[in-house]
Amino acid sequence: MRKSKATILSANLEAIDCSVEASWEADIIIVAVPFEAEKDVARKIQEVANQKIVISISNPLNSTYDGLVTAPDTSAAEELQKLLPNAKVVKAFNTTFAADFSSPLIDGKQVDAFIAGNDESALQTAAELVSTVGFNPLVAGDLTVSRTLENMQLLLIQLNMKYNYNWLAGWKILH
Amino acid sequence: MYNLFFQKYNEKVPLSDEEQEQIKKYLTPKKLRKKQYLLQEGDVCKVIAFVENGALREYAVENGKEHIIQFALEGWTISDLFSFFTGEPATYHIDALEDTELVLITKDAHEELLKTQPKYETYMRLLITNAYIALQRRLTSNISLPIEERYINFTEKYPDIVQRVPQHMIASYMGLTPETLSRIRKKLANRK
Ligand SMILES: NC(=O)c1ccc[n+]([C@@H]2O[C@H](COP(=O)([O-])OP(=O)(O)OC[C@H]3O[C@@H](n4cnc5c(N)ncnc54)[C@H](OP(=O)(O)O)[C@@H]3O)[C@@H](O)[C@H]2O)c1
Repeated sequence: MRKSKATILSANLEAIDCSVEASWEADIIIVAVPFEAEKDVARKIQEVANQKIVISISNPLNSTYDGLVTAPDTSAAEELQKLLPNAKVVKAFNTTFAADFSSPLIDGKQVDAFIAGNDESALQTAAELVSTVGFNPLVAGDLTVSRTLENMQLLLIQLNMKYNYNWLAGWKILH
Repeated sequence: MYNLFFQKYNEKVPLSDEEQEQIKKYLTPKKLRKKQYLLQEGDVCKVIAFVENGALREYAVENGKEHIIQFALEGWTISDLFSFFTGEPATYHIDALEDTELVLITKDAHEELLKTQPKYETYMRLLITNAYIALQRRLTSNISLPIEERYINFTEKYPDIVQRVPQHMIASYMGLTPETLSRIRKKLANRK
């Protein structure tokens, strides 16, 4: 996001961060930056994100990947909601690895993608998006459930490193 | 981002700074590029759009032919109100004729504002009354005025549209072929 700042072509052009321009045009904003950068990005897009669906994809991992930097009584998603109080923050896509997007079927099964949020219609739209991308959407609960979802990905990362899944692994609820 | 929106709002219903801030929380800023859709026929229209900057048109497509029913420039509002209020699929398309900045009021925001902001209810009543009057005027003029007079009225009332919108779209709005409109324009020019 940072690299593609509008180039100044003439003195009349205002240099504007592309995250602002893109969010202004967007119906759904996916903040695909590391957790530490979210404050910075949220500050920039706050005005243009008003009333929009903002997807929190981040996992607030510490540098050694053995814990989260967020306190147990909050989550990256809830922190993002505090930074964007008039947006509809939805947790989604955080429990899937990047490689899963090109292979949403693993071992013949469609990977589940969990969604959490407080706004019904935003959850529904996020579920449609998840399904379009190829995952099976599962609404897990309100935004506080993001705490569990973020810890689930911490576990998946640890398991991946221990058992060498080659970053192609995901969650599936069997029932 | 909301300057013109609140300027027009205040002209209809004056707001305190506090009320303005409360209403602002429910508004969605949206940018469209030229030719991008705000609404497509068959989708449910979920917004009323106020134009801060730019231009849009609303039109129906029948047998591959476009019939423009409305233009909207800065300071105007555009929507498929039938679909917005009934939740039925829209019968019109709305797209941008230029790069456009909008302030959107979604159905959810609209309901919430009606409940919490009495001055929003007044504003909406005036907006919808004006939309109804404009619609009736357009109907009456379509039925009763000769085409040349309709064109003169249109150019006098909306000189900005004549400047910014291609002639074939104005023809479509008036229910004419571009050739007929061109003949009328020539005739009127000769008369001067
Ligand atoms: N990778 C995965 O498998 C995976 C899975 C689930 C969730 N996630 C989550 O998805 C998010 C993105 O992950 P990633 O692997 O794509 O991370 P990444 O490669 O480290 O970062 C993604 C982008 O963030 C941008 N960025 C960093 N700081 C910024 C700032 N201050 N302002 C604007 N942009 C900034 C970077 O832009 P520059 O190139 O300009 O530096 C980079 O392009 C993270 O929150 C992660 O937790 C990732």
